[in-house]
Amino acid sequence: MEDFYFSRRFVLKALLAGTATSFIASSHALAASASCSDKIVRVAGIAAPDTMNPFATWASFWPTTFTYDVLVGVDAQRHPDRQGFAKEWSVDDKELTWTFKIWPGMKWSDGKPATAKDVAFTYEYLKKSVGTADELNVGWNNTSGMEQVQSIEVVDETTLRIITNKPTRWPVDNTIMIVPEHIWSSVSQADARGTFRNDPPLVGTGPMIVAEFQQGQFARLTPNTHFRKGQPEIAGLIFRFFPSADSIAQGLKSGDLDYGMNLTAAQWTDLSKDEAIVVGQGRTEARNYLAFNTASGKGAGSTKALQDEAFRDAVGYAIDQKTIAERAFRGHADPGVGLVMPAATNYYSELKDIKRHFDLEEAARRLDAAGYKDADGDGIREDRDGNKFQLELITGTTSGTIETPLAAVQLVAGWLGQIGIPASVTQLDPGALDARTASPEQGGGSWDLLISGGWLTPSAPDLLVLGEADNTGNNSYWKSGEFEQLISEVKSTADIEKSKALVDKAVRLIYQDAPYIILAYPFMLDARRKDCFQGWGTADMFSMWSYFPFDRLKAI
Amino acid sequence: MSGGVRGPGGHHVGQVVFRAVITLLMVGVLNFLLFRVIPGDPAAMLLAGARSSVTTEQMQAQRQSWGLDKPLVPDQLVSYLSTTLQGDFGYSFKFRGKRVGELIIERLPETLALAGLAQIIAIIFGIFLGIYAGWRRGGVIDNLTTGTSLALYSTPPFWLGMLLVVGFSTMLGWLPGYGSYSPGAGDGSFLAGLIDRLRHLILPVLSVALGLIGQYVVVARAAMSDVVTEDYMVTARAKGLTNGQMLRRHAFRNALLPVVTLITLNLGYVVAGAITVEAVFAWPGIGSLTVEALNARDYPVLQGIFLLLGASIVFANLIADLIYGLLDPRVR
Repeated sequence: MEDFYFSRRFVLKALLAGTATSFIASSHALAASASCSDKIVRVAGIAAPDTMNPFATWASFWPTTFTYDVLVGVDAQRHPDRQGFAKEWSVDDKELTWTFKIWPGMKWSDGKPATAKDVAFTYEYLKKSVGTADELNVGWNNTSGMEQVQSIEVVDETTLRIITNKPTRWPVDNTIMIVPEHIWSSVSQADARGTFRNDPPLVGTGPMIVAEFQQGQFARLTPNTHFRKGQPEIAGLIFRFFPSADSIAQGLKSGDLDYGMNLTAAQWTDLSKDEAIVVGQGRTEARNYLAFNTASGKGAGSTKALQDEAFRDAVGYAIDQKTIAERAFRGHADPGVGLVMPAATNYYSELKDIKRHFDLEEAARRLDAAGYKDADGDGIREDRDGNKFQLELITGTTSGTIETPLAAVQLVAGWLGQIGIPASVTQLDPGALDARTASPEQGGGSWDLLISGGWLTPSAPDLLVLGEADNTGNNSYWKSGEFEQLISEVKSTADIEKSKALVDKAVRLIYQDAPYIILAYPFMLDARRKDCFQGWGTADMFSMWSYFPFDRLKAI
Repeated sequence: MSGGVRGPGGHHVGQVVFRAVITLLMVGVLNFLLFRVIPGDPAAMLLAGARSSVTTEQMQAQRQSWGLDKPLVPDQLVSYLSTTLQGDFGYSFKFRGKRVGELIIERLPETLALAGLAQIIAIIFGIFLGIYAGWRRGGVIDNLTTGTSLALYSTPPFWLGMLLVVGFSTMLGWLPGYGSYSPGAGDGSFLAGLIDRLRHLILPVLSVALGLIGQYVVVARAAMSDVVTEDYMVTARAKGLTNGQMLRRHAFRNALLPVVTLITLNLGYVVAGAITVEAVFAWPGIGSLTVEALNARDYPVLQGIFLLLGASIVFANLIADLIYGLLDPRVR
C-alpha cells in the first residue's frame, strides 16, 4: 500500500520535530524570565488598577503607594523608619494647629525641590473642589475630611501649618498622596476626577517610581535616584496584577516572583512546605461580620425579629468565633469580638466583661425568653407574628482582598439551624452583593442576614463606620442617636486618650445592641522567596497604608 | 446558515448580508438589555474600594457623571443605539472614559495571537490526524488518535491549562505560566522580545489547541470513514488508482466538507473562545477584558465586546455559506 502523505516515518518525523522545537523553545538558555542577577524585585498581588491617577480611582493604590508619599499617615505613626513626606509633626495645646517639618532638601524624582508648597497644593487642590460639580470625591485622594480644615499655610519650604476648625487627627491620619505641584497644576479638577490617566513615568518622592503601566498585567518601577534616604539598592520593582491568587502561588513556586500577597490558607500551607520560600502572615484592619437587616419599612427583612435587639443578642450566643477562626480560616484570623480589630492597637478591647460566649442552649433560652418559641415542636421557631423562621443569608466571595471562606458561612448557617432558625445561603458576586446591600432608598435591602467584610484605616472614625447612620458602609441599616453623638465627638477629638474612651463607649453600645456579630479579623497571608533578596523584615512586611521601605531591601 | 434559502449568486449574497445586519441589530439591543438585567450598580462598583466611606450624594454624583441617572428606556437605550450606529461604542466606566473602541483594539491582538495560533495549529494537526485515522481505520494510530482526541475534546480548556501550568511552569520551570510577556524582556533586542513572547504563548495556545485538535480529529475521521465506503471509491480503485491518488483526488476533498463548516464556525469563536484560558493565564486579551468589565458592570465595554463577538460569528457564518458553495457545487 502506497502512503504518499501519511507514512509512519513521516508521522514520526513530524512528532520528533515538534517535540524538539518545543524543547528548544523551553530551554533555560533562551529563558527571559526572572533571575536574581538583574536585582529586580518581582512582586504580585490581587489588584486591578485602571489608571495611575489617585484622584480618579481607588484601585491605583498598588503601585502608586511606592511612588507617592502621604504627609504622615498610619505607618509613620507605627514605625519610626517609615515616615512619609513629613519628617516630624506636632500639635499645639488646643489641638487645632498642626505643624509639619518636611524633610530638608527633599527632591521629586525629576530633581525638582519637594517642599511644603507641594503639600499645600495637594490639599488645596482637593479643598477647592469641594461643593463644585467636579468635586474630587471619587478616588483614593478625596475630599473626605477637608471640611475640618480651616487653613493650610506654608511657613517656609520645610514648614507647613494646618489649622483645623475643631480638634481632629485628620492631619496625621489622612492617606492623601502628595503630588507635585509642577505637574498637577496644569491638570484641571474636572480632568483629575475623570479622564486624566496620569500615564508613567510618574514624578514622586517615594522610593520607587512607576515607569511603565500595562493595565491588567504589571507596573514596572525604577528606583528614585533622588530618594531622601538615598537611592534604593535594588535595580527595580515589577508589580504584577492578578485577579486571583492561583497565579501568585504558582509564580512563587516557579521562582518567577520574589514576593506575593493575598494568598489563601491552602496556598499558604502548600508554600510553607517549600524550602526556598518563607511564609508570613500579618494582622490587618479587615473584619468579617454577620449583619442583621434592621431596616423597618422599605427594604426590611422577612421578619420583624431582625429589628429586635433581644433576638440579635440571642443569636450572638450561637456563633462560635473561635471555631470560625480555627476551622474556616485555618488559624489565619483572630476570633471576632467588637468593631475594633487587634491591628488597631490604639483602640482594641477584648470586651471581656460583656462578651458573649458560645452556648447554643443559652441562645435557645434567650430566644424563648424573648418570645421566639417553637410552639408546634417541629424544630423551627416562630416569630411573634406566628410565622416560622426561614431566613435568607446572603454573602459574597471576598472581603476587601481577603477571601471570605465559605466554610465560615456554612458554620453560621449550621448553628442557626441548631437553634431552630433555618437560613438558606445565597452567594453573590461583588456587583450583585453591592446592589442588594445598598441602602433601601437606593433599591437595596429585603434580605435577612449578611456575611461580609471590609477593610478601612485604623483611625477612630473609620472603625465606627459600620454603625454610622446613612453611611453606605453601614450594612445593617442600624441607627442610634447615642452612637451618632459618639461618632460626632470622635471626629472632633485629636487627643488619643479621649478618642480611645469615646471609641470604647461606642463599641460597647453597638456590641450590646448587636446589629452585627463580628466573626473574625482575617490576616493577610504572604510569602517570599529566600534566594534573591534580604531585609524584608518580619512584621508588616508590606504595609497597606504607605510605601514598603525598599531602602532596606538588598540583593543577596 | 447553510440551510437557508438559496438563489442565484448575487441574490443569495444579498439575502445573507441582510440577515446578518438584522441579526447584528438584534444582538445590539439584546446586549443593552442583557447586562442591565444583572443586579449591580456600576457607580457603586466604581467606588467599591471606598464603599464604607462613600455618602449617598457621592454615589449619586457618580451616577450622574456616567449618565446612569437617566431612565433606561428610552433615554439610555436611544442614546446607545444612535451612537453605536455611528460606530461609536461609547466610553468605559471602569477605564475612566477611555473609548471602548480603543480598549478593544488594544486587547484584540493578544486574543487573536492566542486563539488564532491555536486554531491554525489545531486545523493542521487535527485534519492531518483525523484524515489519517479515518483512512487507516482500526489501526494502532487510529485507535490511539481517536482515544486521545475524545479525551482532549471532552477536557475543559481551562483545566488543561491549569495542568499545563503546574507541569511545565511550576514543576519543571520551563515556561512562563502567566502574562503575555515578561516586563522588560524586549529591552535588550527584538529577538529576545520575540522569543519571550513565543514562550509565553506556548502553554495558553496548547490549552486551546489540544481541545480543538480533538474536535477536528473526531469530525475529520468520521467524514473520512464515510467517504471511504462510498461507491465512487470502489470505482476509483477499479480504475487502478493508487492509494495516494484516491486520497488526493476523491476522498480528501469530499471528507473536507464537514470539517470546513466546523473551521468557519470555530473561526467565529476565535475572539470569544479563549475567555476561560485567558483567565487561567492572566492573558491580557478580550476574555480578560470581558471579565474585568463584567465585574465592574462596565456596560459600554460589555456591549462593545459582545457586538464584536456577535459580528464575528455572523461573519464566520457568511464565509461558511460562501465557501460551502465553492466546495460543493450542489449547494450553490
